[in-house]
Amino acid sequence: MSSAVTEQIRKEYGAVHAALPASVIEPARRAEAIERLCAQGLPATREENWRYTNLRVLEHARFAPVETQSQAVPPLPEALPGFVRYVFVDGLLRSGAAGSHPGLTVRSLRTPGPSSSAAWGPCPDVPEARLALLNEAFATDALLIEAHANAAPAAIELVFAASAGAQAGASYPRVHVVLEAGAELTVLERHMGAPETASLVNSAVRADVGENAHLTHYRLQQCAPRTAWFDTLTAQLAAQARYHLLTVGTGALTARSTVHVRLAGAGAELALSAAALADRQQSHDMYALSEHVAPNTRTTETFRGIASGRARVAFNGKIAVRERAGGSDSRQSLRGLLDGPEAEVDLRPQLEIYTDEIRCSHGATAGKLDQNMLFYLLSRGIAPQTAQHLLKWAFLEDVVARIECAELRRQIERDLASQMSAAATLKELL
Amino acid sequence: MLKIENLHATVDGKEILKGLELEVPAGEVHAVMGPNGSGKSTLAYVLAGRPGYAVTAGRISFQGQDLLALSPEERARAGVFLGFQYPVEIPGVNNVYLLKAAINAARKQRGEPEVDAFEFLTLVREKMRLMRMDESMLSRGVNEGFSGGEKKRNEILQMLVLEPRLAVLDETDSGLDIDALKIVAHGVNTLRAPQRSLVLVTHYQRLLEHIVPDRVHVLVNGRIVRSGDRTLALELERRGYDWLIGEAA
Repeated sequence: MSSAVTEQIRKEYGAVHAALPASVIEPARRAEAIERLCAQGLPATREENWRYTNLRVLEHARFAPVETQSQAVPPLPEALPGFVRYVFVDGLLRSGAAGSHPGLTVRSLRTPGPSSSAAWGPCPDVPEARLALLNEAFATDALLIEAHANAAPAAIELVFAASAGAQAGASYPRVHVVLEAGAELTVLERHMGAPETASLVNSAVRADVGENAHLTHYRLQQCAPRTAWFDTLTAQLAAQARYHLLTVGTGALTARSTVHVRLAGAGAELALSAAALADRQQSHDMYALSEHVAPNTRTTETFRGIASGRARVAFNGKIAVRERAGGSDSRQSLRGLLDGPEAEVDLRPQLEIYTDEIRCSHGATAGKLDQNMLFYLLSRGIAPQTAQHLLKWAFLEDVVARIECAELRRQIERDLASQMSAAATLKELL
Repeated sequence: MLKIENLHATVDGKEILKGLELEVPAGEVHAVMGPNGSGKSTLAYVLAGRPGYAVTAGRISFQGQDLLALSPEERARAGVFLGFQYPVEIPGVNNVYLLKAAINAARKQRGEPEVDAFEFLTLVREKMRLMRMDESMLSRGVNEGFSGGEKKRNEILQMLVLEPRLAVLDETDSGLDIDALKIVAHGVNTLRAPQRSLVLVTHYQRLLEHIVPDRVHVLVNGRIVRSGDRTLALELERRGYDWLIGEAA
């Protein structure tokens, strides 16, 4: 399929490229991204790291960015205390106090401004990052967030909403988060859309976490049921940097997230926690590469996924420990829950080790609801359906309980309960 | 209260209970003792309705109702409580939620409104003091990270809060040190009442020093082979089970 689709991409790019903002990405770089993408071809399911992604949706996609800005924005979730909110509609910044908060610079690159020292270089030349090339070619806006050295902790919420008019094309959320040395920042990223929207969202996010800096990054994928959501996240961690990445995916028809974190400085730490809840025909796929480059680096990875109906949930977690990464430590705990005879869960823990004196542990299990737990709840008078909801809930709590912001955790718990159609039975927990 | 007639039950196709007869009148405490593999836990699970424990013949009547016609949750709501030998850990579901959900399930069955939040907490706190449990345990996952003794105390706590009509305690004494055993026994004793029956499934006489039974039954090879008063338990302590196994064969 790839060549026909890449031709389509090239054609659509040809039609719109003159109108794409140069301040977001320079024209030459956009052209180069298109060339690289066409030369490499789009990902295909015959490739090992794309096996479980529903790539067919790309065959019928419109790639040019959505032109008209519809007014029909889905209702936004309740604002969280302490978070400064920025709302993007179909990839364009719609509202949000652009400018400076204490210790923080946030600006949309669509408006030409002073050049920043924080440069987002071209996409790394790795096959998993090809969809980021597509973002690089078509992006219509980009948000640059800089947390300055040793500034007080801050929190930012980014809402990416697809409008009802988004069917006409794609949107390309693009964010660059830079933490200077010692900075502390929480970024909450929500992807959502108007209910009947069948759009293509292809986001690219980059995080540079400086020495001793601490980035907490929550990502919620709550797109409309017919959305195809693709995402490439790359992060680079300096010495003693801490990156806490927590993702919860419940929406979209097809969701694929590609994460590449480079632990480049000694003592850097990544805590990656991901939860996926898929039902009906949904397909949720995540590929996460944690690359230990420097000594004494640490990865803790937790994945919990539930597939119901005919859904498929996949998590491919690769931990690579390079030659100079002695003393590093990695732990993986991947668990999948099959809720129905036609559901599918694919878990792949992978380790690639090029040095000695490291510690790596991993566990991956996929199975049905624990019958002993279920009977225990029934024996206390709890109705079978409630008991099942409770156990599914408890399964995801391994991830959700790690959300430090209590209001956010409650929002997510409510969303999970409503996705499970269990809001009534679990109301005491919400 | 409970009447079991000619009960036959299989697990994985193997017959474990082979014509068991047992009657427990209201207000009485009965101990079911027996060697390993005699069918004690199977009896407890059959009473609670555990899937995989198939009743192939016989009847169980509970307060005049056909117990076998009820699902596990219906039995619980009707007032049957099983204290597990090995209570499971359910991380992510906290103890207080489970207690409240269990109480409300039974109230709903009786057509009563949901328990008042204040009343509920007062009740739970009182019972926790009785079981010498720390209140912080309420917000923890069900049995999560509990020691063996704490799990057993938690079982009794649930029983005290739910106030069942019939409590079946499966080896509640196993894994308890002497102090914990006394606490558990005290908890159980507070629940003795004319309208309530208790079945204690146990290996050892030790528990019966603290919870004095009205009747003692010996289960060997799937049948009650002997019944008597509490002195039977003392005799078993002295002589072991071999002489009864010989008689049963």
